[in-house]
Amino acid sequence: MDTLFKKSKKQIFAIFSFLFLSLILSTNTFAADGEKIFKQNCAVCHTLGKNKLTGPGLEGIMTRVPSEKWLFDWIKNNKAMIAAGDAYAVKVFNDNNKADMTVFASTLSDEEIQATIDYIKAPPAPTTPAGPVAQTSGEAAPQEEGINPLAVLLGVIAFLIIIIAVLRGVRHSLTNLQNEKMGLPEEEAVGPWTELKNWIYTHKRTTTVIILIITGGLLTSGWYALKGIGVYADPETKAVYHPDQPIQFSHKIHAGDNAINCQYCHSGVEKSKTAGIPSVNVCMNCHKGISSGATTGTKEIAKIYEAAGWDVEKGEYNKPQKPIKWIKVHNLQDFVFFSHQQHVTVGKQDCANCHGDVKEMTTVKQVSPLTMGWCIDCHRKTEVPGMKDNPYYESLHKRLAEKYKGEPITVDKMGGIDCVRCHY
Amino acid sequence: MNKKITKVISLMAVFGCVAIAFTSCGKHDANSPGVEFMPDMYRSPSLESNMAYVKIENGKETGDTMQANRMPVAGTIPRGFMPYAFPDSPEGNEAAKTGAKNPLQKNEKNLKDGEVLYGKFCVHCHGATGMGDGAVGLKLPGAPPAYTAPDKINMTEGELFQIITYGKGLMGPHAPLVNQEERWKLVLYVQKLQHPNGVAAPAAAADSTATAAAPKEEAKKK
Repeated sequence: MDTLFKKSKKQIFAIFSFLFLSLILSTNTFAADGEKIFKQNCAVCHTLGKNKLTGPGLEGIMTRVPSEKWLFDWIKNNKAMIAAGDAYAVKVFNDNNKADMTVFASTLSDEEIQATIDYIKAPPAPTTPAGPVAQTSGEAAPQEEGINPLAVLLGVIAFLIIIIAVLRGVRHSLTNLQNEKMGLPEEEAVGPWTELKNWIYTHKRTTTVIILIITGGLLTSGWYALKGIGVYADPETKAVYHPDQPIQFSHKIHAGDNAINCQYCHSGVEKSKTAGIPSVNVCMNCHKGISSGATTGTKEIAKIYEAAGWDVEKGEYNKPQKPIKWIKVHNLQDFVFFSHQQHVTVGKQDCANCHGDVKEMTTVKQVSPLTMGWCIDCHRKTEVPGMKDNPYYESLHKRLAEKYKGEPITVDKMGGIDCVRCHY
Repeated sequence: MNKKITKVISLMAVFGCVAIAFTSCGKHDANSPGVEFMPDMYRSPSLESNMAYVKIENGKETGDTMQANRMPVAGTIPRGFMPYAFPDSPEGNEAAKTGAKNPLQKNEKNLKDGEVLYGKFCVHCHGATGMGDGAVGLKLPGAPPAYTAPDKINMTEGELFQIITYGKGLMGPHAPLVNQEERWKLVLYVQKLQHPNGVAAPAAAADSTATAAAPKEEAKKK
């Protein structure tokens, strides 16, 4: 009896603990389901905070709505409630620009709606992203404050001139002192220019060599200086032009990690002369939802909102717009014609051929010199793939193939290096 | 002998000075575009696309800048552009549901174009198969719903076009990025993703017989 009682006690305990466990588990699964359902169906329009997306933010929703039952009915079929003239339902509908909310009567079961409400009531604490802590200054490493070598040179020259003047004076007075002792007449003071002239007369060959060296130096450095005009790359260090932009936009994150196609933002590349810097509304296509980045937190994305006039809390464009002053990196002069459309649509050139591996760049660098020599080099080597299937060029292509038997028909063979092709 | 040494030293000094003087100017600054030949050919006084210009109001320069890109004059439309009849409003959406019809034929070329466009303009959020699992889509507060979700799969072409044009929920309007013809091509491809074994073009046969099937479809439509 004793043992039996013990056994049953154990059994009862086991049953209770099982029930308790299953209860915990079941509530847990409900909460988890609610989260899943929320993410799949609601999060597209609602946040759990107070920020408005398409629909209002859900923070403090339970204190706003008349009752939980009301919320349940609203999720199930909001249109029916509006049609029935429920006062709060009509108010919510009008407050949100009469934007339709999806009717979930057919897609979500009653239990699922309840799970969602449970989740909205007690959402898990938001996991804050790394945020502004990890603010990096990108590649803008603090520039070393070196001393200007030109200033050093000028200083040295000035110092040498002073020393020469002093030494000349010393020598002059010493000679005079000696002359005085030996009873010779006092030496006349000779100006530095006269002395230099005398030296030049006596050292004609050395003077010629020095003049030749100086002229040669000037000519070579002048030649290199001319070659550097309009070329943004430093010939020695290979450092290239990569200016700081008003927003620390990273192509590595957007085009690299997120694999957004170049043309999503630079959508003019196939249709126009310029590839185009995207307007802020293109940024907002994604950043309406993504307000915090991995490296700079909300700091940089807030600049987009400011430019677009987007009010994060109210979820609408209600502020004045301010265009972002992006700095153009690849800048061609007005005296040369260049069309992206031609190169991308017919020439079938990949963006990276001229712009380098932008997917790996945090700040965009100008990797190509954009000089005429660089253009022509490419025109001498490249064929035009887009011409082959284009009936418009058919007869021309046939004639060219006859003319250059077997040779690849590169751009220069069809007039691609004529002056007027680009300069007109 | 002594004189020779001084000569050599003075020569070297002069040469060194010249060399230092001309290399010292080559210090590189990432923010500087370097020396520009005829700077007004680089930064043109005439308006060029994507450049900022000083805003002029009543003939006076203001502190503000503006973009060179201008809105078309009110009441005008660009050449070759047809205005779209359905506005961005609940009524417009309702009317477009049945009212907006795809002017393009569902043939191999249009589907192929649609696929290419989809890879450029949609895939990063909606994913390659339209399940809403693109790299950006997963970072959004709510991933875009799958095209095959029960309430999405039966959307009409007009509804899809309306959404691409004006956006919906978190999705922004894409009319500035893709023109009407391109949007209709996208609609064709999205419908193909929704119904891979669609009534009109079975996926298995699409590759080999699409060219043969296309004229038939045209005939059907006529």
